[in-house]
Amino acid sequence: MASDLLSIARSGAQTARIALDVTAQNIANASSQGYVRRSVRLEEVSASGGVGRIGDVSLSGVRLDKVVRNADLFRQAEVRRTGADLARADAEVSGLQNIESAIEQTGVYPAIVNFEGALQQLASDPVDPSLRAAAIEDTRTLTRTLNIASSSLDAVGDGLRFDAADDVAQVNLLAGELGRVNLRLARAADASSDQTSLLDQRDSLLQQLSDHVDVHANINADHTAGVRIGGTAGPQLVNGGDAFPLAMQTAGDGTISFTLDGNPVTPLSGSLVGRGQALDKLADIRTGLDTIAADLITTVNTAQAGGVALDGSAGQPMLSGTGAADIALAFEDGALIATAPAGAGANSRDPANLSALRNALATSDPSGEMDALLFDISSAVQGRSVTREAIATIASTARIALQTQAGVDLDMEAVNLVRFQQAFQASGRVMQVASDLFDTLLGIR
Amino acid sequence: MTLIGTSTSAFYERARQDMTSLRGRAESLQEQLGRGERLRRSSDDPVAASRLRTLNRADRLSDIDETNANRADADLTLTDTALASFADFIIRARELAVQAGNDTMTAEQRASIGTELEQIHGNLVSLANARDSAGHALFGGETPGDAYTLDGGGNAVYIGTATSGELPLGDGQSVTRGLTGPEVLNFDDGGTPTNIMAFVKTLANALQGGVADPAAAARDALPGLSTAIDTVTTGQTLVGSRLAWIELTAERRVDLSELRATEEADIGGTDIASAIARLQETLVVLEASQASFSKLSGLSLFNQLR
Repeated sequence: MASDLLSIARSGAQTARIALDVTAQNIANASSQGYVRRSVRLEEVSASGGVGRIGDVSLSGVRLDKVVRNADLFRQAEVRRTGADLARADAEVSGLQNIESAIEQTGVYPAIVNFEGALQQLASDPVDPSLRAAAIEDTRTLTRTLNIASSSLDAVGDGLRFDAADDVAQVNLLAGELGRVNLRLARAADASSDQTSLLDQRDSLLQQLSDHVDVHANINADHTAGVRIGGTAGPQLVNGGDAFPLAMQTAGDGTISFTLDGNPVTPLSGSLVGRGQALDKLADIRTGLDTIAADLITTVNTAQAGGVALDGSAGQPMLSGTGAADIALAFEDGALIATAPAGAGANSRDPANLSALRNALATSDPSGEMDALLFDISSAVQGRSVTREAIATIASTARIALQTQAGVDLDMEAVNLVRFQQAFQASGRVMQVASDLFDTLLGIR
Repeated sequence: MTLIGTSTSAFYERARQDMTSLRGRAESLQEQLGRGERLRRSSDDPVAASRLRTLNRADRLSDIDETNANRADADLTLTDTALASFADFIIRARELAVQAGNDTMTAEQRASIGTELEQIHGNLVSLANARDSAGHALFGGETPGDAYTLDGGGNAVYIGTATSGELPLGDGQSVTRGLTGPEVLNFDDGGTPTNIMAFVKTLANALQGGVADPAAAARDALPGLSTAIDTVTTGQTLVGSRLAWIELTAERRVDLSELRATEEADIGGTDIASAIARLQETLVVLEASQASFSKLSGLSLFNQLR
């Protein structure tokens, strides 16, 4: 079998056209999300000589061997892993910041200080009705701010659980989508453009999944992806075309846990975990705030019980409720504050019981407790923010590393454009030569 | 061939990240300058924020201490004025006793001196029931009503409490906010405990003919009146030293509040000079990266291919 100059040139022109198409596709998708740069791998077509034809020149031009997707599985896995870490840190920090705002900006601490101040002022003249009224109003402000702080914490918790539920829905949606992509991948022809775009979809879905939950993907020989969550030995979320449902459970204290296909699972990173961690902290802070409120109720009511009101009657409980959510003022009349000790008559100016209340408050130290609570949450926010910055740097480095390798470099594509254009023109020239040769042979007379 | 280079999207991503972080830093510095405070929320610096909270609390409570101290100061000043009036009346009573002790006086003249002493007795009783700044009995300790009441015989009887209350002045210091009637008005007349009101009343009765020798009674009353003046003067000294104590704690409070203000400024205030310098630095870097970004992004091979 001999070579055919014209068909060699045809194959050259054809592959140059394909290469130009791929280059154009790269340029068009330079900023597409999840697009991986393609390149063409060309291969020579030639036959080795057969029986009796050893030494024959048998050249048939070039063919497109493969459209290569320049994706590095390791770098993609790194992007997913670091991205999941970052999503976790982001969700946790923003949740913690909301908790911090809820108890700092409601002004519980200044309200406690004002309450202490009102009692201190009342000591200067315990029978003064205006000072008594001021003490009542400052106590009311304190109970209301505690109520507001409590409901703000509720709102933060609701928001976090809503977001977590949305995360779970997203995970299930993406897992289902990945299952369908897996099915189509298993049927797609190797190296076809159909397959490459499915692979892009697969990687993009894996990356989106990793925003919500930690993804441990293993890529099978048929390019389908199996996904495990909660570590490499964790249960399977996606296996071939099957996606297993992830579900969220809310405990009584507002913290959340997850099951995969009915079995408990503990995700390691992703925004789901971040929200879970923020909810854990929220439960702590709520307990702290409730303890402060409960201590306040006990301290104030115990002191009230030990004294007599302005009219000489035994002191009534001043605060009702059991925690920050339901703490309330039990009476509105300033005259009922028991400043005088038991046994003192009506209108007594003896501040002994008020002093006892102030001493008890100094011992239980609600302002100190509140300060400690604020310090707890704010140092948590600060510490996590520092960690978040570090994780963000790592994640962005991983993302840039992947893009450097998998992304489109327009300069490079410009060079390819020129190169394949020249290759096309050169193949055209070869056809011209073949035609000239044919004419030469025909022209023999 | 391995590509060592940069993909277009990576270049834009990097530039975007760098410029965003620079802009964020510049904005945070600008905010610090605009607010004059370094901390926006506790988590910016938890330790400093906790310290600031404690300082603010101390400020707030110190303000109330000041109000209380002012009240104690007012009460003690009123006590001081009342004691000066007591002293004036007792001195007048002593002058009258000296006059009445003169044997040249007629019985009528002594009787009229006795009448004036009766008036003085009335004045002393009403003075002993003087009110403090809040309308309570100045010399009644912690009693809700009057300090003295008149019994059937017209004698002043103390019905207040045994002690005056203490008022906290902050930092664990406190001051006794007044003097009780017995503390300044009771004295020993030659071994017999009495009080100035009863003493003057007895003298008035004596001069009006209650005893056989009114002149001798007037002369005998002189040492008792001197002791009464001494007691009142001692009371004034006590009040003076308490006022001085209040002043001392007030000075200490001012010193402490200045210290707190300095610490608050150190911890929570913006260091204007360094913040401006850092802002300038950040802006220069930001401008440079913006300029280099626009140069680099304009540098495409496509522009060169014709």
